[in-house]
Amino acid sequence: MSEKHQGFMKALKCRECGREYPLAATHVCEFDFGPLEVAYDYERIKKSLTRAAIESRPKTMWRYRELLPVAQEPTVGQQVGFTPLIKADRLAKKLGIRELWVKNDAVNYPTLSFKDRVVSVALSRAKELGFKTVACASTGNLANSVAAQAASAGLKSFVFIPSDLEQGKILNSLIYGANVICIKGHYDEVNRLCAEIAGKFGWAFVNVNMRPYYAEGSKSLAYEIAEQLGWRLPQHTIVPMASGSLLTKIHKGYQEFVKLGLVPDTEARLHGAQATGCSPISTAQKAGLDFFKPVKPDTIAKSLAIGTPADGFYALKVMRETSAAADDVSDDEIRDAIRLLAETEGIFAETAGGVTVGVAKKLIASGKIPRDSSAVICVTGNGLKTLDAVQGHCGKPREIKPSLREFEALLTQEEKANA
Amino acid sequence: MATKSIRKPTTSKTPEQQRLWLMYPSRLIQKPFIWEVGQKFKVITNIRQCSVTDEIGIVCLELDGPRDEVKAAIRWMEKQGVNVEPVEIGVIAG
Repeated sequence: MSEKHQGFMKALKCRECGREYPLAATHVCEFDFGPLEVAYDYERIKKSLTRAAIESRPKTMWRYRELLPVAQEPTVGQQVGFTPLIKADRLAKKLGIRELWVKNDAVNYPTLSFKDRVVSVALSRAKELGFKTVACASTGNLANSVAAQAASAGLKSFVFIPSDLEQGKILNSLIYGANVICIKGHYDEVNRLCAEIAGKFGWAFVNVNMRPYYAEGSKSLAYEIAEQLGWRLPQHTIVPMASGSLLTKIHKGYQEFVKLGLVPDTEARLHGAQATGCSPISTAQKAGLDFFKPVKPDTIAKSLAIGTPADGFYALKVMRETSAAADDVSDDEIRDAIRLLAETEGIFAETAGGVTVGVAKKLIASGKIPRDSSAVICVTGNGLKTLDAVQGHCGKPREIKPSLREFEALLTQEEKANA
Repeated sequence: MATKSIRKPTTSKTPEQQRLWLMYPSRLIQKPFIWEVGQKFKVITNIRQCSVTDEIGIVCLELDGPRDEVKAAIRWMEKQGVNVEPVEIGVIAG
Protein backbone atom coordinates (compact mmCIF):
# COMPACT_ATOMS: atom_id res chain seq x y z
CA MET A 1 0.00 0.00 0.00
CA SER A 2 1.42 3.39 -0.95
CA GLU A 3 2.01 6.21 1.50
CA LYS A 4 -0.88 8.06 -0.10
CA HIS A 5 -3.21 5.30 0.99
CA GLN A 6 -2.01 4.87 4.53
CA GLY A 7 -0.86 8.27 5.76
CA PHE A 8 0.98 7.80 9.04
CA MET A 9 -0.57 4.39 9.69
CA LYS A 10 1.56 1.26 9.34
CA ALA A 11 -0.89 -1.64 9.64
CA LEU A 12 -3.72 -3.13 11.65
CA LYS A 13 -2.28 -5.20 14.47
CA CYS A 14 -3.87 -7.90 16.66
CA ARG A 15 -3.95 -6.82 20.31
CA GLU A 16 -3.55 -10.45 21.37
CA CYS A 17 -0.89 -12.02 19.12
CA GLY A 18 0.58 -8.99 17.31
CA ARG A 19 -0.07 -10.34 13.78
CA GLU A 20 -0.34 -7.54 11.24
CA TYR A 21 -3.03 -6.99 8.60
CA PRO A 22 -3.55 -4.53 5.72
CA LEU A 23 -5.34 -1.27 6.49
CA ALA A 24 -8.75 -2.47 5.24
CA ALA A 25 -12.24 -2.55 6.78
CA THR A 26 -11.53 -5.50 9.04
CA HIS A 27 -11.55 -5.82 12.79
CA VAL A 28 -10.58 -9.25 14.13
CA CYS A 29 -7.46 -11.37 13.79
CA GLU A 30 -8.10 -14.40 11.56
CA PHE A 31 -5.89 -16.51 13.83
CA ASP A 32 -7.21 -15.96 17.36
CA PHE A 33 -10.15 -13.56 16.73
CA GLY A 34 -8.42 -10.91 18.86
CA PRO A 35 -9.36 -7.26 18.17
CA LEU A 36 -7.28 -5.31 15.66
CA GLU A 37 -5.79 -1.91 16.44
CA VAL A 38 -4.10 0.69 14.24
CA ALA A 39 -0.29 0.80 14.45
CA TYR A 40 1.48 4.03 13.45
CA ASP A 41 4.87 5.11 12.12
CA TYR A 42 5.89 7.19 15.15
CA GLU A 43 9.30 8.08 13.70
CA ARG A 44 7.64 9.89 10.80
CA ILE A 45 5.01 11.42 13.06
CA LYS A 46 7.71 12.83 15.34
CA LYS A 47 9.17 14.81 12.44
CA SER A 48 5.81 16.34 11.55
CA LEU A 49 3.89 16.75 14.81
CA THR A 50 5.43 19.38 17.07
CA ARG A 51 3.78 21.67 19.61
CA ALA A 52 4.28 24.61 17.24
CA ALA A 53 2.72 22.72 14.32
CA ILE A 54 -0.28 21.73 16.42
CA GLU A 55 -0.78 25.26 17.78
CA SER A 56 -0.77 26.70 14.27
CA ARG A 57 -3.70 24.55 13.16
CA PRO A 58 -7.49 25.11 13.50
CA LYS A 59 -8.97 24.33 16.91
CA THR A 60 -10.58 20.98 16.11
CA MET A 61 -9.61 17.39 16.93
CA TRP A 62 -7.97 17.20 13.50
CA ARG A 63 -5.05 19.36 14.66
CA TYR A 64 -3.55 15.99 15.74
CA ARG A 65 -4.23 14.44 12.33
CA GLU A 66 -1.00 12.44 12.16
CA LEU A 67 -2.19 10.42 15.18
CA LEU A 68 -5.63 9.72 13.74
CA PRO A 69 -6.24 6.83 11.31
CA VAL A 70 -6.90 8.58 8.02
CA ALA A 71 -4.62 8.50 4.99
CA GLN A 72 -5.39 12.01 3.76
CA GLU A 73 -7.14 15.14 5.02
CA PRO A 74 -10.42 14.29 6.82
CA THR A 75 -13.57 14.64 4.75
CA VAL A 76 -16.22 14.16 7.43
CA GLY A 77 -16.61 16.18 10.64
CA GLN A 78 -13.77 18.63 10.06
CA GLN A 79 -15.20 20.86 12.82
CA VAL A 80 -15.42 18.21 15.54
CA GLY A 81 -13.61 18.48 18.86
CA PHE A 82 -11.47 20.96 20.78
CA THR A 83 -14.25 21.25 23.32
CA PRO A 84 -13.69 23.41 26.42
CA LEU A 85 -11.57 22.25 29.35
CA ILE A 86 -13.09 24.20 32.22
CA LYS A 87 -11.37 24.93 35.51
CA ALA A 88 -14.12 23.86 37.87
CA ASP A 89 -13.26 25.75 41.07
CA ARG A 90 -16.75 25.70 42.55
CA LEU A 91 -17.13 21.96 41.99
CA ALA A 92 -13.57 21.42 43.31
CA LYS A 93 -14.56 23.16 46.55
CA LYS A 94 -17.66 20.96 46.90
CA LEU A 95 -15.70 17.77 46.27
CA GLY A 96 -12.77 18.88 48.43
CA ILE A 97 -9.94 18.73 45.91
CA ARG A 98 -7.21 21.29 45.18
CA GLU A 99 -7.63 21.50 41.41
CA LEU A 100 -10.41 20.16 39.21
CA TRP A 101 -11.11 20.42 35.49
CA VAL A 102 -14.09 19.36 33.41
CA LYS A 103 -13.52 18.28 29.81
CA ASN A 104 -16.87 19.23 28.35
CA ASP A 105 -17.83 17.08 25.36
CA ALA A 106 -21.47 17.88 26.12
CA VAL A 107 -20.94 20.70 23.63
CA ASN A 108 -19.18 18.68 20.95
CA TYR A 109 -20.16 19.34 17.33
CA PRO A 110 -22.52 18.39 15.72
CA THR A 111 -24.54 16.13 18.05
CA LEU A 112 -23.41 17.08 21.56
CA SER A 113 -21.48 13.99 22.60
CA PHE A 114 -17.97 12.54 22.42
CA LYS A 115 -19.26 10.07 19.80
CA ASP A 116 -18.85 12.86 17.24
CA ARG A 117 -15.10 12.25 17.52
CA VAL A 118 -15.18 8.52 16.75
CA VAL A 119 -17.81 8.85 14.03
CA SER A 120 -15.92 11.63 12.29
CA VAL A 121 -12.86 9.37 12.10
CA ALA A 122 -14.84 6.26 11.08
CA LEU A 123 -16.72 8.02 8.27
CA SER A 124 -13.64 9.85 6.96
CA ARG A 125 -11.85 6.49 6.77
CA ALA A 126 -14.95 4.79 5.29
CA LYS A 127 -14.96 7.34 2.46
CA GLU A 128 -11.27 6.72 1.84
CA LEU A 129 -11.97 3.00 1.57
CA GLY A 130 -14.74 3.67 -0.97
CA PHE A 131 -17.87 2.97 1.09
CA LYS A 132 -21.15 4.65 0.13
CA THR A 133 -23.29 3.24 2.97
CA VAL A 134 -22.53 3.44 6.67
CA ALA A 135 -24.27 1.80 9.61
CA CYS A 136 -24.27 1.40 13.36
CA ALA A 137 -26.15 -0.31 16.16
CA SER A 138 -26.89 2.10 18.99
CA THR A 139 -29.37 3.17 21.61
CA GLY A 140 -28.49 6.86 21.56
CA ASN A 141 -25.46 9.07 21.04
CA LEU A 142 -23.71 6.93 18.43
CA ALA A 143 -26.89 6.65 16.34
CA ASN A 144 -27.39 10.44 16.40
CA SER A 145 -23.83 11.13 15.35
CA VAL A 146 -23.75 8.57 12.52
CA ALA A 147 -27.09 9.86 11.18
CA ALA A 148 -26.00 13.51 11.30
CA GLN A 149 -22.48 13.13 9.95
CA ALA A 150 -23.53 10.68 7.22
CA ALA A 151 -26.14 13.23 6.12
CA SER A 152 -23.57 16.01 5.92
CA ALA A 153 -21.17 13.77 3.98
CA GLY A 154 -23.82 12.57 1.51
CA LEU A 155 -23.53 8.97 2.69
CA LYS A 156 -26.48 6.62 3.01
CA SER A 157 -26.94 5.45 6.61
CA PHE A 158 -28.63 2.61 8.47
CA VAL A 159 -29.18 2.84 12.20
CA PHE A 160 -30.22 -0.31 14.07
CA ILE A 161 -31.96 0.10 17.42
CA PRO A 162 -33.84 -2.12 19.88
CA SER A 163 -37.60 -1.69 19.31
CA ASP A 164 -38.33 -0.52 22.87
CA LEU A 165 -36.23 2.67 22.56
CA GLU A 166 -37.89 5.97 23.58
CA GLN A 167 -39.47 8.05 20.76
CA GLY A 168 -37.28 11.08 21.48
CA LYS A 169 -34.11 9.14 20.86
CA ILE A 170 -35.46 7.68 17.61
CA LEU A 171 -36.41 11.17 16.39
CA ASN A 172 -32.82 12.34 16.95
CA SER A 173 -31.71 9.95 14.20
CA LEU A 174 -34.78 10.06 11.93
CA ILE A 175 -34.52 13.83 11.50
CA TYR A 176 -31.27 13.40 9.50
CA GLY A 177 -32.93 11.05 7.00
CA ALA A 178 -31.25 7.90 8.29
CA ASN A 179 -32.84 4.50 7.66
CA VAL A 180 -33.78 3.64 11.23
CA ILE A 181 -34.51 -0.05 11.76
CA CYS A 182 -36.13 -1.14 15.04
CA ILE A 183 -35.35 -4.77 15.91
CA LYS A 184 -37.71 -6.68 18.16
CA GLY A 185 -36.11 -9.10 20.58
CA HIS A 186 -33.75 -9.46 23.49
CA TYR A 187 -30.55 -7.44 23.61
CA ASP A 188 -28.38 -10.51 22.91
CA GLU A 189 -30.38 -11.43 19.79
CA VAL A 190 -30.29 -7.86 18.49
CA ASN A 191 -26.56 -7.77 19.17
CA ARG A 192 -25.86 -10.95 17.19
CA LEU A 193 -28.14 -9.94 14.32
CA CYS A 194 -26.30 -6.62 13.95
CA ALA A 195 -22.97 -8.49 13.82
CA GLU A 196 -24.43 -10.74 11.09
CA ILE A 197 -25.77 -7.79 9.09
CA ALA A 198 -22.38 -6.11 9.35
CA GLY A 199 -20.73 -9.25 7.98
CA LYS A 200 -23.17 -9.79 5.12
CA PHE A 201 -23.89 -6.45 3.47
CA GLY A 202 -20.48 -4.98 2.88
CA TRP A 203 -21.24 -1.61 4.49
CA ALA A 204 -18.99 0.43 6.72
CA PHE A 205 -20.45 -0.63 10.07
CA VAL A 206 -18.77 1.91 12.35
CA ASN A 207 -18.67 -0.20 15.51
CA VAL A 208 -17.97 -3.50 13.74
CA ASN A 209 -15.72 -3.63 10.66
CA MET A 210 -14.61 0.02 11.08
CA ARG A 211 -13.97 -0.40 14.82
CA PRO A 212 -10.15 -0.20 14.67
CA TYR A 213 -10.39 3.27 13.05
CA TYR A 214 -13.52 4.39 14.90
CA ALA A 215 -12.09 3.67 18.36
CA GLU A 216 -8.94 5.72 17.64
CA GLY A 217 -11.05 8.89 17.48
CA SER A 218 -11.36 8.77 21.28
CA LYS A 219 -7.63 9.50 21.63
CA SER A 220 -8.27 13.08 20.56
CA LEU A 221 -9.91 13.69 23.95
CA ALA A 222 -6.55 12.87 25.60
CA TYR A 223 -4.53 15.08 23.23
CA GLU A 224 -6.84 18.03 23.88
CA ILE A 225 -6.73 17.60 27.66
CA ALA A 226 -2.90 17.52 27.62
CA GLU A 227 -2.61 20.56 25.35
CA GLN A 228 -5.31 22.58 27.18
CA LEU A 229 -3.56 21.91 30.50
CA GLY A 230 -0.48 23.60 29.06
CA TRP A 231 1.27 20.54 27.60
CA ARG A 232 1.15 18.28 30.62
CA LEU A 233 -0.73 15.17 31.70
CA PRO A 234 -3.26 15.39 34.52
CA GLN A 235 -2.43 13.43 37.68
CA HIS A 236 -5.91 11.89 37.66
CA THR A 237 -8.48 11.45 34.87
CA ILE A 238 -11.93 10.09 35.66
CA VAL A 239 -13.49 8.37 32.66
CA PRO A 240 -16.96 6.83 32.20
CA MET A 241 -16.86 3.18 31.13
CA ALA A 242 -19.36 1.48 28.83
CA SER A 243 -17.30 -0.92 26.69
CA GLY A 244 -14.15 0.38 28.42
CA SER A 245 -12.73 1.55 25.09
CA LEU A 246 -12.63 5.28 25.97
CA LEU A 247 -10.44 4.67 29.03
CA THR A 248 -7.96 2.55 27.06
CA LYS A 249 -7.80 5.09 24.24
CA ILE A 250 -7.23 8.07 26.56
CA HIS A 251 -4.35 6.06 28.02
CA LYS A 252 -3.01 5.37 24.52
CA GLY A 253 -3.33 9.08 23.69
CA TYR A 254 -1.35 10.15 26.78
CA GLN A 255 1.32 7.53 26.05
CA GLU A 256 1.66 8.68 22.45
CA PHE A 257 2.18 12.31 23.55
CA VAL A 258 4.91 11.14 25.93
CA LYS A 259 6.51 8.99 23.21
CA LEU A 260 6.57 11.96 20.81
CA GLY A 261 8.09 14.25 23.46
CA LEU A 262 5.07 16.57 23.45
CA VAL A 263 4.52 16.26 27.23
CA PRO A 264 6.77 15.22 30.15
CA ASP A 265 6.45 11.60 31.28
CA THR A 266 4.56 12.11 34.55
CA GLU A 267 2.27 9.78 36.44
CA ALA A 268 -1.25 9.85 34.98
CA ARG A 269 -3.84 7.66 36.64
CA LEU A 270 -6.97 6.70 34.71
CA HIS A 271 -9.90 5.95 37.00
CA GLY A 272 -13.01 4.18 35.70
CA ALA A 273 -16.60 5.16 36.47
CA GLN A 274 -19.71 2.99 36.07
CA ALA A 275 -23.32 2.92 37.23
CA THR A 276 -24.01 0.38 39.99
CA GLY A 277 -26.81 -1.04 37.82
CA CYS A 278 -24.23 -2.00 35.18
CA SER A 279 -20.81 -2.28 36.75
CA PRO A 280 -18.99 -5.35 35.43
CA ILE A 281 -15.65 -3.52 35.09
CA SER A 282 -15.66 -1.52 38.34
CA THR A 283 -16.82 -4.59 40.28
CA ALA A 284 -13.92 -6.62 38.84
CA GLN A 285 -11.45 -3.82 39.55
CA LYS A 286 -12.56 -3.49 43.15
CA ALA A 287 -12.27 -7.27 43.60
CA GLY A 288 -8.75 -7.21 42.15
CA LEU A 289 -9.72 -9.44 39.19
CA ASP A 290 -8.24 -9.24 35.69
CA PHE A 291 -11.51 -10.40 34.09
CA PHE A 292 -15.13 -9.30 34.44
CA LYS A 293 -18.37 -11.24 34.77
CA PRO A 294 -21.19 -10.28 32.35
CA VAL A 295 -24.24 -8.58 33.91
CA LYS A 296 -27.79 -7.62 32.86
CA PRO A 297 -27.92 -3.79 32.90
CA ASP A 298 -30.48 -1.96 35.04
CA THR A 299 -29.62 1.73 35.30
CA ILE A 300 -30.76 5.18 34.17
CA ALA A 301 -27.29 5.64 32.61
CA LYS A 302 -28.37 4.02 29.33
CA SER A 303 -25.32 5.18 27.37
CA LEU A 304 -23.14 3.12 29.74
CA ALA A 305 -25.44 0.10 29.93
CA ILE A 306 -23.23 -2.54 28.33
CA GLY A 307 -23.33 -5.76 30.34
CA THR A 308 -20.55 -7.48 28.40
CA PRO A 309 -17.94 -4.76 27.76
CA ALA A 310 -15.76 -5.52 24.74
CA ASP A 311 -12.73 -3.69 26.14
CA GLY A 312 -13.36 -4.55 29.78
CA PHE A 313 -10.26 -6.73 29.98
CA TYR A 314 -8.05 -3.99 28.50
CA ALA A 315 -9.60 -1.27 30.71
CA LEU A 316 -8.82 -3.36 33.80
CA LYS A 317 -5.24 -3.74 32.57
CA VAL A 318 -4.82 0.05 32.13
CA MET A 319 -6.21 0.74 35.61
CA ARG A 320 -3.80 -1.83 37.09
CA GLU A 321 -0.84 -0.39 35.18
CA THR A 322 -1.58 3.20 36.18
CA SER A 323 -2.35 2.27 39.83
CA ALA A 324 -5.84 3.69 39.36
CA ALA A 325 -9.18 2.90 40.99
CA ALA A 326 -12.75 2.35 39.82
CA ASP A 327 -16.09 2.80 41.48
CA ASP A 328 -19.79 2.92 40.70
CA VAL A 329 -22.78 5.01 41.75
CA SER A 330 -26.51 4.36 42.20
CA ASP A 331 -29.22 6.02 40.10
CA ASP A 332 -29.95 8.50 42.92
CA GLU A 333 -26.26 9.36 43.21
CA ILE A 334 -26.17 9.89 39.42
CA ARG A 335 -29.08 12.36 39.59
CA ASP A 336 -27.51 14.18 42.55
CA ALA A 337 -24.22 14.45 40.66
CA ILE A 338 -25.92 15.80 37.52
CA ARG A 339 -27.49 18.53 39.67
CA LEU A 340 -24.23 19.23 41.51
CA LEU A 341 -22.36 19.77 38.23
CA ALA A 342 -25.17 21.95 36.86
CA GLU A 343 -25.48 24.05 40.03
CA THR A 344 -21.73 24.59 40.51
CA GLU A 345 -20.42 24.87 36.96
CA GLY A 346 -23.46 25.53 34.76
CA ILE A 347 -22.90 22.32 32.81
CA PHE A 348 -25.88 20.06 32.14
CA ALA A 349 -24.49 16.58 31.55
CA GLU A 350 -26.30 13.43 30.51
CA THR A 351 -26.48 10.51 32.93
CA ALA A 352 -22.97 9.31 32.02
CA GLY A 353 -21.66 12.69 33.21
CA GLY A 354 -23.50 12.16 36.49
CA VAL A 355 -21.74 8.80 36.79
CA THR A 356 -18.32 10.38 36.30
CA VAL A 357 -18.91 13.25 38.74
CA GLY A 358 -20.47 10.88 41.28
CA VAL A 359 -17.54 8.49 41.11
CA ALA A 360 -15.03 11.37 41.31
CA LYS A 361 -16.77 12.45 44.52
CA LYS A 362 -16.45 8.93 45.95
CA LEU A 363 -12.81 8.51 44.96
CA ILE A 364 -11.87 11.88 46.49
CA ALA A 365 -13.82 11.15 49.69
CA SER A 366 -12.13 7.74 50.05
CA GLY A 367 -8.66 9.21 49.46
CA LYS A 368 -8.06 7.18 46.28
CA ILE A 369 -7.74 10.56 44.59
CA PRO A 370 -5.76 12.68 47.12
CA ARG A 371 -7.29 16.04 48.07
CA ASP A 372 -4.07 17.94 47.27
CA SER A 373 -3.95 16.67 43.67
CA SER A 374 -5.26 17.75 40.28
CA ALA A 375 -7.94 15.85 38.36
CA VAL A 376 -9.88 15.97 35.10
CA ILE A 377 -13.47 14.75 34.86
CA CYS A 378 -14.62 13.66 31.39
CA VAL A 379 -18.19 14.68 30.58
CA THR A 380 -19.14 12.86 27.40
CA GLY A 381 -22.71 13.85 26.56
CA ASN A 382 -25.38 16.53 26.93
CA GLY A 383 -28.13 16.52 29.55
CA LEU A 384 -30.74 17.57 26.99
CA LYS A 385 -30.54 14.00 25.67
CA THR A 386 -31.56 12.34 28.94
CA LEU A 387 -34.18 14.74 30.32
CA ASP A 388 -36.38 11.83 31.41
CA ALA A 389 -33.70 10.71 33.89
CA VAL A 390 -33.96 13.91 35.94
CA GLN A 391 -37.63 14.69 35.31
CA GLY A 392 -39.34 15.20 38.68
CA HIS A 393 -36.01 15.39 40.56
CA CYS A 394 -35.18 19.09 40.11
CA GLY A 395 -37.94 20.74 42.11
CA LYS A 396 -40.85 22.68 40.59
CA PRO A 397 -41.30 26.26 39.39
CA ARG A 398 -43.28 28.55 41.74
CA GLU A 399 -46.49 29.88 40.20
CA ILE A 400 -47.87 33.39 40.80
CA LYS A 401 -50.56 35.62 39.32
CA PRO A 402 -49.40 38.53 37.10
CA SER A 403 -48.98 40.74 40.17
CA LEU A 404 -45.88 42.55 41.44
CA ARG A 405 -47.20 42.41 45.02
CA GLU A 406 -47.56 38.65 44.76
CA PHE A 407 -43.98 38.32 43.51
CA GLU A 408 -42.67 40.50 46.37
CA ALA A 409 -44.63 38.40 48.84
CA LEU A 410 -43.07 35.26 47.39
CA LEU A 411 -39.55 36.67 47.73
CA THR A 412 -40.18 37.79 51.32
CA GLN A 413 -41.53 34.37 52.16
CA GLU A 414 -38.46 32.67 50.71
CA GLU A 415 -36.05 35.07 52.43
CA LYS A 416 -37.69 34.24 55.75
CA ALA A 417 -37.46 30.52 55.01
CA ASN A 418 -33.75 30.81 54.15
CA ALA A 419 -32.90 33.11 57.06
CA MET B 1 -34.41 2.06 1.16
CA ALA B 2 -34.20 -0.21 -1.91
CA THR B 3 -30.75 -1.53 -2.66
CA LYS B 4 -29.63 -2.21 -6.21
CA SER B 5 -27.78 -5.49 -5.74
CA ILE B 6 -29.78 -8.72 -5.74
CA ARG B 7 -28.80 -10.95 -2.84
CA LYS B 8 -29.36 -14.65 -2.47
CA PRO B 9 -32.02 -14.97 0.25
CA THR B 10 -30.92 -16.54 3.50
CA THR B 11 -32.55 -19.95 4.15
CA SER B 12 -32.46 -22.44 7.00
CA LYS B 13 -29.87 -24.45 5.08
CA THR B 14 -27.59 -21.54 4.16
CA PRO B 15 -24.05 -22.41 5.31
CA GLU B 16 -23.27 -20.31 8.31
CA GLN B 17 -20.10 -19.51 10.18
CA GLN B 18 -20.37 -17.71 13.51
CA ARG B 19 -17.45 -16.45 15.56
CA LEU B 20 -18.40 -16.26 19.20
CA TRP B 21 -17.17 -15.45 22.68
CA LEU B 22 -18.64 -17.78 25.27
CA MET B 23 -18.53 -16.85 28.94
CA TYR B 24 -19.78 -19.23 31.60
CA PRO B 25 -19.80 -19.48 35.41
CA SER B 26 -17.83 -22.00 37.45
CA ARG B 27 -20.81 -24.37 37.83
CA LEU B 28 -20.53 -25.15 34.08
CA ILE B 29 -16.78 -25.69 33.98
CA GLN B 30 -17.03 -29.46 34.53
CA LYS B 31 -19.71 -29.81 31.87
CA PRO B 32 -18.33 -30.70 28.40
CA PHE B 33 -20.86 -28.51 26.63
CA ILE B 34 -18.76 -27.77 23.56
CA TRP B 35 -18.51 -31.53 22.92
CA GLU B 36 -22.28 -31.77 23.53
CA VAL B 37 -22.95 -29.01 21.00
CA GLY B 38 -21.09 -31.04 18.38
CA GLN B 39 -23.13 -34.15 19.27
CA LYS B 40 -26.56 -32.53 19.44
CA PHE B 41 -26.33 -30.28 16.39
CA LYS B 42 -24.83 -30.55 12.89
CA VAL B 43 -22.12 -28.04 13.62
CA ILE B 44 -18.33 -28.05 13.54
CA THR B 45 -16.71 -26.48 16.60
CA ASN B 46 -13.26 -24.91 16.61
CA ILE B 47 -11.78 -23.25 19.70
CA ARG B 48 -9.50 -20.31 18.77
CA GLN B 49 -8.46 -19.24 22.27
CA CYS B 50 -9.65 -19.82 25.80
CA SER B 51 -9.09 -19.12 29.47
CA VAL B 52 -10.69 -21.35 32.08
CA THR B 53 -10.13 -20.55 35.74
CA ASP B 54 -12.02 -21.72 38.82
CA GLU B 55 -14.21 -18.60 38.60
CA ILE B 56 -15.07 -18.21 34.92
CA GLY B 57 -14.71 -19.93 31.56
CA ILE B 58 -14.00 -17.74 28.52
CA VAL B 59 -13.86 -19.48 25.14
CA CYS B 60 -13.53 -18.04 21.65
CA LEU B 61 -15.40 -20.47 19.42
CA GLU B 62 -16.00 -20.81 15.69
CA LEU B 63 -19.24 -22.59 14.77
CA ASP B 64 -19.83 -23.90 11.22
CA GLY B 65 -22.99 -25.54 9.88
CA PRO B 66 -26.41 -24.97 8.30
CA ARG B 67 -27.93 -21.72 9.58
CA ASP B 68 -30.74 -23.32 11.59
CA GLU B 69 -28.35 -25.74 13.30
CA VAL B 70 -25.95 -22.93 14.27
CA LYS B 71 -28.87 -20.89 15.62
CA ALA B 72 -30.22 -23.87 17.57
CA ALA B 73 -26.77 -24.60 18.99
CA ILE B 74 -26.49 -21.01 20.26
CA ARG B 75 -29.96 -21.15 21.80
CA TRP B 76 -29.10 -24.44 23.53
CA MET B 77 -25.87 -23.01 24.97
CA GLU B 78 -27.74 -19.96 26.26
CA LYS B 79 -30.26 -22.28 27.91
CA GLN B 80 -27.39 -23.99 29.73
CA GLY B 81 -26.39 -20.60 31.20
CA VAL B 82 -23.64 -19.66 28.77
CA ASN B 83 -23.32 -15.99 27.79
CA VAL B 84 -22.97 -16.01 23.99
CA GLU B 85 -21.63 -12.89 22.25
CA PRO B 86 -20.52 -12.31 18.68
CA VAL B 87 -16.74 -12.03 18.43
CA GLU B 88 -17.10 -8.23 18.29
CA ILE B 89 -18.89 -8.24 21.70
CA GLY B 90 -21.35 -5.45 22.45
CA VAL B 91 -22.15 -4.28 18.92
CA ILE B 92 -24.96 -2.08 20.28
CA ALA B 93 -23.34 1.08 21.62
CA GLY B 94 -24.79 3.90 23.69
